[in-house]
Amino acid sequence: MTTKLATPNKGFTLLEVIVALTITGFVLGGLFSLVGGSKKLSWASEQSLLRAANVRAATNFALLENEFNEVEEILTNFDYDIRPLEIIEPPLRKTQASRLFLEEYEIVNPDTDEIILGNRWVQLELPQ
Amino acid sequence: MKFPSRAAGFTLVEIMLALGLTAMILGLLSSGVYIVAEDWNRNSDTLDAQLDEALVVLQIDRALHGAFPHSFTNEETISRQLYFVGEDDYLSWVSSVSPQRDPGLTAWELYSDNDSGVFLSLVPAFSDNPRERLSLAEPRLILPGYTVEFAYLFEDTDQTKVWRDEWYGEERLGLPLAVYVKFTPFREFEDSNDPVEIVARIKSYEHRSIRPLSNITFQ
Repeated sequence: MTTKLATPNKGFTLLEVIVALTITGFVLGGLFSLVGGSKKLSWASEQSLLRAANVRAATNFALLENEFNEVEEILTNFDYDIRPLEIIEPPLRKTQASRLFLEEYEIVNPDTDEIILGNRWVQLELPQ
Repeated sequence: MKFPSRAAGFTLVEIMLALGLTAMILGLLSSGVYIVAEDWNRNSDTLDAQLDEALVVLQIDRALHGAFPHSFTNEETISRQLYFVGEDDYLSWVSSVSPQRDPGLTAWELYSDNDSGVFLSLVPAFSDNPRERLSLAEPRLILPGYTVEFAYLFEDTDQTKVWRDEWYGEERLGLPLAVYVKFTPFREFEDSNDPVEIVARIKSYEHRSIRPLSNITFQ
């Protein structure tokens, strides 16, 4: 009986403990980086909300030019550039000359390569 | 003859070494957790605040788009007047957009002071002049750290559209064609925050019966 007691269940060696702790560390580290990733995502979404506000301002200004000619410039945020494109092809037959035409426009942010396309009415100088 | 106690058990040195290592690792882990949690809380607070700011900007945008030519009777002159008070740093208007569930028209008032930020007051608009009720309302700080400027789109007699820095509904008998709002961060926050702009086209800028006097120009 005394000889049986001399070899009880062995404990862990130092190596085993170190390996176990390292694995635990990796798992915890992975968890933390996941958490950090989700945080980054919410920051990005917040940024995009503010960008949405800026895009709204640019679009609204482009549409002001839709309804009125010669609106004085006022926007101070130059990230979004409003560029008029060509006038959409006029109809083949018209009963009378018109001054209003549909024009394509784009709002471009060169830094982020965002391009927003839209149509607006424009008033030409001379009826066509 | 062997003593059973000699086989099992650790020496004092082994136990102290083990305890020391365990304590060190636990300490490192818990301090790591603490730092992460602290950072998380701080980030969450600023994130929440900035999300609120972005939503407030969108809400004001909507309310300006829905500006309404609200009229009331001036008790002294018994004349119908339009309510819209716009200065370069103060704007009060009646909107068909209400931020809460209340139906009906709401009078909005926006201004900034130089210490804390942009304030907003809201009261329901009844058939009288909402100015007095607005002055009794409790203003709420909606954008801390920002100042606000306004401009109003005016159609001149030669049909050019110019931005003016004031607009009084009772003088002009109409609303501006559009309102421009710019929220500028205080100088100490300039690095972290960008200015935010709003352009709002007011569709119903004419009252159904009150008509602006013809050929009025700004002095």
